[in-house]
Amino acid sequence: MTNSPWINFAGLVMLAIVPYVLAAQGTMLAGRTGLFIVAQEGIMLVGASVGFLGAYHFQNLAAGLGLALLVGGLFGLILAYFTTTLKMDQFVVGLAVFFLGLGLSNLLFKIVIGITLQPPRIPTLKAWSVPFLADIPILGPILFRQNGLVYFSILLSFFLYYVLYYTGTGLALRATGENPKAADSLGVHVTRYRYVTAIFGGMLMALAGAFLPMVYTGTYTDGIVRGRGWLAIALTFFGGWKPHTILLGSFFFAGVEILALRVQVTAIGLPHQFLRMLPYLGTILVMTLAFRGARPPAFLGQNYDRESRTTSS
Amino acid sequence: MTEGMRLRLAVIGRLGRGLLPYLLSFLVAFAVVGLVLALLGFDVWRAYRTILGTSFRTSNGFVQTLIKWIPIVLQALAFTVPLVAGKFNIGGEGQMIVGAIGAAAVGILLADLPLPILLPLLLLTGVLCGMLWVLGPAWLLYRFGVNEILTTVLLNFTAFELIDFVATKIWADPRAGHPTTVAIGAGGMLPLLVTRPPLHSGLLIALAIVIIVYVYTHHTAVGYELLATGANPRAARVFGLPVRRLFLFSLLFGGALAGLSGAIEVAGVHGRLIAGLQSNFLLLGIITGLIAKGNNAAVPFVAFFIAVLEVGASALQRTMAIPGEMTFIVEALILIFVLLNDVVRRYRS
Repeated sequence: MTNSPWINFAGLVMLAIVPYVLAAQGTMLAGRTGLFIVAQEGIMLVGASVGFLGAYHFQNLAAGLGLALLVGGLFGLILAYFTTTLKMDQFVVGLAVFFLGLGLSNLLFKIVIGITLQPPRIPTLKAWSVPFLADIPILGPILFRQNGLVYFSILLSFFLYYVLYYTGTGLALRATGENPKAADSLGVHVTRYRYVTAIFGGMLMALAGAFLPMVYTGTYTDGIVRGRGWLAIALTFFGGWKPHTILLGSFFFAGVEILALRVQVTAIGLPHQFLRMLPYLGTILVMTLAFRGARPPAFLGQNYDRESRTTSS
Repeated sequence: MTEGMRLRLAVIGRLGRGLLPYLLSFLVAFAVVGLVLALLGFDVWRAYRTILGTSFRTSNGFVQTLIKWIPIVLQALAFTVPLVAGKFNIGGEGQMIVGAIGAAAVGILLADLPLPILLPLLLLTGVLCGMLWVLGPAWLLYRFGVNEILTTVLLNFTAFELIDFVATKIWADPRAGHPTTVAIGAGGMLPLLVTRPPLHSGLLIALAIVIIVYVYTHHTAVGYELLATGANPRAARVFGLPVRRLFLFSLLFGGALAGLSGAIEVAGVHGRLIAGLQSNFLLLGIITGLIAKGNNAAVPFVAFFIAVLEVGASALQRTMAIPGEMTFIVEALILIFVLLNDVVRRYRS
């Protein structure tokens, strides 16, 4: 039973949710204070590049992860500064930062590694079996024989759920994205919340990117993110901007991804190119059918100006 | 000082104030990148000369720049026309690919037709295919209010698979080592304007499009409706404008331009369908559109500047082994600094 293809499939899905969960929770977190980030794809690329280079240079995966977190936080800070302090259009700044990430990721790789036919490799992150729990039949191999980032992304989702809905900080944070004027009048430091969530959001996105070379490929290529950043935005909407439903929704995204890969291998006559379209087309379908009930934060995408008279700028 | 001179000075002054932020952004961006290059141990002056001068030193460089300008300007307009109405078309890449596929299909299947029939048919098919690819997102926006940013961008990734399928399974050229189709008929090729170095007549089409789009958005009532919708959709609706239909229309217009850019790449540059022909034109187009702040009168000039940088970048990579991505950083920095100028102006006023 332990080696059945279904268990194998479920285990792979558990692994594949990680980049989606991390990037989408980052998007959600910043969005809950009203900052709509659209630079996920770029920040994930930088995270993948820097994470790989750090791990390669120091021969240490933790160093790579740390470096990716640092750079991701920096990108979040840039986003927050341009939108919250300078009050520039969030979409335009997001696109600019996306470009910056796109250029920087390949540039850094080429500067450090150079142009090679045989890219250098790093050891991939090892799975860690949770004592006792890993031996449970069926559930054990699926849930408890994964790498640390899998556990982290799931625990993070629960943690964010707790913070958002059961603490005063979470209440203030949510209020910032719903009605910053009202929150401000009650003494909530709107700007500080936006900065902090943007930085955390950027870190999570970069971590999502760093996951890809450290778990999947062992090396960096410029096509490594393949739209997962954009899919993470879709997942955030799909999950209704709530941490727990985002975690649930990620299984759909990861499931389609793994399914497309799987069917490709077993080949059922359909050209593999069409199977690889599935995640993108599936997402568009889901957006059409499932998004209409989901309500994003009321102030999403707008900058807050203390001195303006109207509540919505 | 005569009246005429004073008027002329006033015009120059106004133009100068408009261009000054661009000039400043350009200088600061180059200074930043120069600093980075210097720290990495490269010869900065030689890098500057290469990146800005390659387009103007030889006729070949200049023609290369013009050939790059065509898809960049079309992609930029494919982004800015919907932007005028306040909509973001991030799917120009997919629309370009599908336009190229449509054009190549016509060029291969009807290869024997004479040029006066085949070429227009090929270009038209490209335009229609580009529109078709954006029709889904546009309709979902029109009918259900589904966010167009995500739907258009996700269809890019879908189009990558589609072109790979067409170029490896349907009309694959078995001799090519890369997903490529067989050549289109000779009647489908855009005639050359200049033979040495070769410059195809897609340039004239792009110039015509630039003028048409400018006149449309700046000097017609329907273009003004688009502008009014983008500026304030709620007010536009109150005034009785068919806002959602204008969204739909602006996206279709953008898709048509992107599809045309794909058809021109097939009929002017490659003569066949090649996976990867979209290059990074979408990103360059979006950067162009954003640096021009969505102003369709400024887009062709910014696009030319971006084309100069791109041609310089490939020379930089060839002669000095500086990664071409360096220009991407330059462009992103220019964009950010141009945007910053607006902030400065807002605080001063």
